[in-house]
Amino acid sequence: MPSAAATLKPEIQFATLDQQGETAQLGIWVFLATETLFFGALIFTYYIYRMSYPEQIAHAAKDAVLWCGSVNIGLLLTSSLTMVLAINAAAQGRRRELVFWLVATVALGVIFLGVKGYEYYLDYKDHVVPAANYVEKPGEGPAGEMFWVFYFVATGLHAIHLSTGIGLVLYMLWRVSRGEITPAYYAPLEVVGLYWSFVDVVWLFLYPSIYLVGRS
Amino acid sequence: MKVDAKEAGALPFVIAWLLMVGLVGLSVWTAFLPIGVWSPIIEFTVAAAQTATIFILFMRLKGPPSLKWLAAGTGFFWLLFLYGLSMTDYTTRSSWPS
Repeated sequence: MPSAAATLKPEIQFATLDQQGETAQLGIWVFLATETLFFGALIFTYYIYRMSYPEQIAHAAKDAVLWCGSVNIGLLLTSSLTMVLAINAAAQGRRRELVFWLVATVALGVIFLGVKGYEYYLDYKDHVVPAANYVEKPGEGPAGEMFWVFYFVATGLHAIHLSTGIGLVLYMLWRVSRGEITPAYYAPLEVVGLYWSFVDVVWLFLYPSIYLVGRS
Repeated sequence: MKVDAKEAGALPFVIAWLLMVGLVGLSVWTAFLPIGVWSPIIEFTVAAAQTATIFILFMRLKGPPSLKWLAAGTGFFWLLFLYGLSMTDYTTRSSWPS
């Protein structure tokens, strides 16, 4: 029986695998443009709040757990590196290396979610969870609670995106095991890599917005 | 240094990663300095530089198909409209920022 790689042909609407791959890339970039608007609007709303109530927001933001956010930005930047190295390995036909970098990417994503979960636990103990156990602290005022609403909405949406990314990378590992990701056609992995790096970029903006406010 | 997936080594990406991690350190450091409005300006400049690095190098905006530049730019283009039109409201409010 021929392997999946040997029988790989472009879908009927494409002339070549290269054309199919380029179309897939264009498609994910259009999707990422909609994600840019989605997160861009969310962050803009937060900055309207921040400019409206600068002192109250700064007071509230001091309670964000800086070390958790900092560890997580390191983890995500590293995961973008492992992902691009996985794509390079796929393009150059180094299968064992490809599997190693993909597993490393998944591991970094899972550790990120673990740190985030621990941070949510610390937040709960600190009584900053709106609608659950929020207690207004001196100097915060009502805008302090708005900060925490933004915090949970933004980081929660980011975590959902990251979880989706982890699922997609696991799916890529399955396709690698079936011999469907080869130097001749690795566009699905490139598409997942683009999504993964974009989720990383979102955190690059959430990090200063949440964790570095009101520190001086 | 070659960055095309077919022939790239790890070095350019490792260098970029080290620079980006270093920039995180710069952001954290400036956050604790009493420099007022310059602190968020520096932090967002850092985030923008990191984003450009990831978009161009890690997400390979450099390279074919060139049309992807258009798709990637579209989100930011419409975001400018969203920000611009929203700010025409807020900046003309007499009581804002309070």
